[in-house]
Amino acid sequence: MSLGMLARRVAHLLVVLFCVTLFVALLTSMLPGDPVDAISGFASQEQKDQLREDLGLNDPVPVQYVHWLGKFVRGDLGNYYSVTGSRPVMDRVKDALPVSLQLMIYAQVLALVIAIPLGVMTAYRAGSRFDRGSNATAFGLLAIPNFALALILAYYVGVRAGWLPVQGYVKPSQDLPEHLRRMALPTISLAVAQVAVYMRLLRSDMIATLQEDFITMAKAKGISPRRVLWRHALRPSSLTLLTVAGLNVGALIGGAVIVEVIFSLPGIGTLLFQAINARQYVALQSLVAIVAVGYVLVNFFVDILYAVLDPRIRHARS
Amino acid sequence: MASTGTRRRWSKRLATILALGLVAAACGGGGGDSGGSGGSAGNEGTPQMGGTLKYGLEAETADGWCLPEAQLAISGIMVARTIYDTLTRPDASGKYQPWLAQSVTPSADNKVWTIKLRSGIKFHDGSDLTAEVVKNNLDAYRGAYPARKPLLFVFTFSNIAKVDVVDPLTVQVTMKQPWAAFDAYLYGSGRVGMMAQSQLDDKKHCADKLVGTGPFKMKEWVPNQKFVADKNPDYWAKDAEGRQLPYLDQVEYDPIVEVDQRVNALESGDIQAMHTSDPSTIADLRNTAKSGDIDLTESTDFGEVTYTMLNSSKPPFDNIKARQALAYAFNFDDYNQVRGKGILTQASGPFAPGNVGNLDDKQTGFPQYDPDKAKQLVKEYEDETGKQLKFSFSTVQAATTIADAQFFKDQAEKVGMKVDITTIDQSSLIDTAIQGNFQAVGWRNHPGGDPDEQYVWWESTSPVNFGRIKDPEIDKLLNEGRTSTDQSKRTTIYEDLNKRFGAEVWNLWNYYTPWSVATTKNVHGVLGEGPTSAKPFPGLAVGNPVMYMWIDK
Repeated sequence: MSLGMLARRVAHLLVVLFCVTLFVALLTSMLPGDPVDAISGFASQEQKDQLREDLGLNDPVPVQYVHWLGKFVRGDLGNYYSVTGSRPVMDRVKDALPVSLQLMIYAQVLALVIAIPLGVMTAYRAGSRFDRGSNATAFGLLAIPNFALALILAYYVGVRAGWLPVQGYVKPSQDLPEHLRRMALPTISLAVAQVAVYMRLLRSDMIATLQEDFITMAKAKGISPRRVLWRHALRPSSLTLLTVAGLNVGALIGGAVIVEVIFSLPGIGTLLFQAINARQYVALQSLVAIVAVGYVLVNFFVDILYAVLDPRIRHARS
Repeated sequence: MASTGTRRRWSKRLATILALGLVAAACGGGGGDSGGSGGSAGNEGTPQMGGTLKYGLEAETADGWCLPEAQLAISGIMVARTIYDTLTRPDASGKYQPWLAQSVTPSADNKVWTIKLRSGIKFHDGSDLTAEVVKNNLDAYRGAYPARKPLLFVFTFSNIAKVDVVDPLTVQVTMKQPWAAFDAYLYGSGRVGMMAQSQLDDKKHCADKLVGTGPFKMKEWVPNQKFVADKNPDYWAKDAEGRQLPYLDQVEYDPIVEVDQRVNALESGDIQAMHTSDPSTIADLRNTAKSGDIDLTESTDFGEVTYTMLNSSKPPFDNIKARQALAYAFNFDDYNQVRGKGILTQASGPFAPGNVGNLDDKQTGFPQYDPDKAKQLVKEYEDETGKQLKFSFSTVQAATTIADAQFFKDQAEKVGMKVDITTIDQSSLIDTAIQGNFQAVGWRNHPGGDPDEQYVWWESTSPVNFGRIKDPEIDKLLNEGRTSTDQSKRTTIYEDLNKRFGAEVWNLWNYYTPWSVATTKNVHGVLGEGPTSAKPFPGLAVGNPVMYMWIDK
């Protein structure tokens, strides 16, 4: 990708981020009720007035947004406010962000590790009993919401079988095996639906690819079926998968909010849940912006990866 | 460790989780609940020293534990009681006995209270517990210590005129008017702990660097994950047999907001103890306990009452006929079966079993279910005012409370009333009440101790008299109860107060909120001991004393 192209993509990214954060600011300002009343409970009028000032609520929404944005781009995520003081949102985010990232990466990796071989094999054996069985299973998995699966897994795997813990978080640096054990059920809960989506997509693209001339040529040259599938067919079949994997980060984030709460994981989802409940608007805005930045960045890198995966795109762009 | 209860439970989970984002806490109260002061389990045997207990809490205390400023619900109180000591605490009968204080003595007229401290007690930072520190703490609670900005405590301690240091271990508190139950306020449902001077003056970390004199020292707080406290090896208190407290080496509190996951964590051994007031969960836990998989300690004693708070300052509930009609329309037995899984105990007044002033249903005179009377009163109301008896029932946006509201609506409309349900955000609930923007609202309050602790909620000039009760008789009884030095007379006064509530139907009492602590079979000592004997305080509404909990090796 040329520098000019990269600059255009970055400019595009900044516009998207601006729109997303502005939209969030407008949405939060339209939420019913007064955040000061919600936060301050038994406070005196004087304390409430001070809190209103601290929150910047006396300013018009555009001014509030500009103030917030100015701080956000400098890494200041604002504060959790109460009548009696404030605590930086960054303090909580520093601990929570790695947890959510780990969860989403594990879920994405697990989904891809399962979905890619399945997608390739079902495409290769399209119409077989294995293919039909895999497709039926995929539809079944797609139909189960991740929160429902989380509870079912917690009960059967965690409680009845006693194989895995059902709550809590341990840092990988503290105890890696225990960390993986505690992340297993949340990861599976998030990954299962993605497996189904990825497998189905890859299968469709692979079936189309396997009918291309270059595949026929490869087969005619006597290249083994395994090599044809994995070296020649998989790469050009991965573009849709890659796009969806990027877009699915949004679904993973949405799923992570509830899965984190269910499994008591102290991630960004839990912070979002608390910020909404406690009407911590500044924190909410910053947290949503972090999620949006992550989402947009992931898809930005997916765009770049297109060119890596498919030389035609690279050459067309250049 | 699966059992009948757990097997039954999972089928309702999908419905429960749909309401996950709407978890209601503290006021505004949960779903339906249940009954009877249950039994204590697992207290047998000789306590064994050591071990780590993991305790699942129903919520995180996001704002921390700068006690004068904190707004602690039961989960926060559990942590506070682990780190801090209060000057008094209740005994088995609910009377307040000195705890961190050696003695708490009123003058003959209850206008001056002298607090004598135990000597040689140190805070976790090595500083001494002195009269000066205690004075500063009390001043902080009442809003007279510059470094701290308390909220509700300003109202509850507004009767204090001044706090003086008499000598290094003696504090004297002078009241504006005599105050018979001041010793109860020194406990404040476990919220009025004594903080070290360093924490009191810490402008930045008062909420998260906890320094008390309590049985455990704060080790680590990772918000939304865990609060870990290590045994205080220099703790001053011993149990009734002379054994050093606490028994455990470490306690870890894990906030697990989703109740079914809390139970899962207990049954899978991730945690060894948990609490809940959810009636459906309690019903399931009873089954699990019956099958021998866990122990369950239950109590409604000295508990909160769940009720419908009526705004008596505006129509229709400024008219007693409307209040009575609603009370007569309420069929508790149906409610208990439909919403409470049959485990609830009907409340007849604001004082739970064990409390001074508690009376049974018939004695309070609170209207019992009688749909014919309800219809008659609706008609009388409408004839008298020329208006239809209609009102809005406000409830927080949680599946359980909305279902409760629907139940009330159905019952009220059966006798001719018109009811609209208004949902409000949990975080707006207190403000809705303060501003009086309601006609009827689901509520939970008035946990035990001394009935005088309810003074601020009902006295006619109090800013937190949410129901706008303007009743000279209630004011008179509240003031008599506060100032009287005669305990038997106080009992009569609060019984009269209870009857007054029944006669005037200022609120629609529903049930005494049950609390349960479930533990694995190897955990004991949930209720612990009292301050002066082995017999424990039986209430669980403000948590249980973890310093007496121990684990079988």
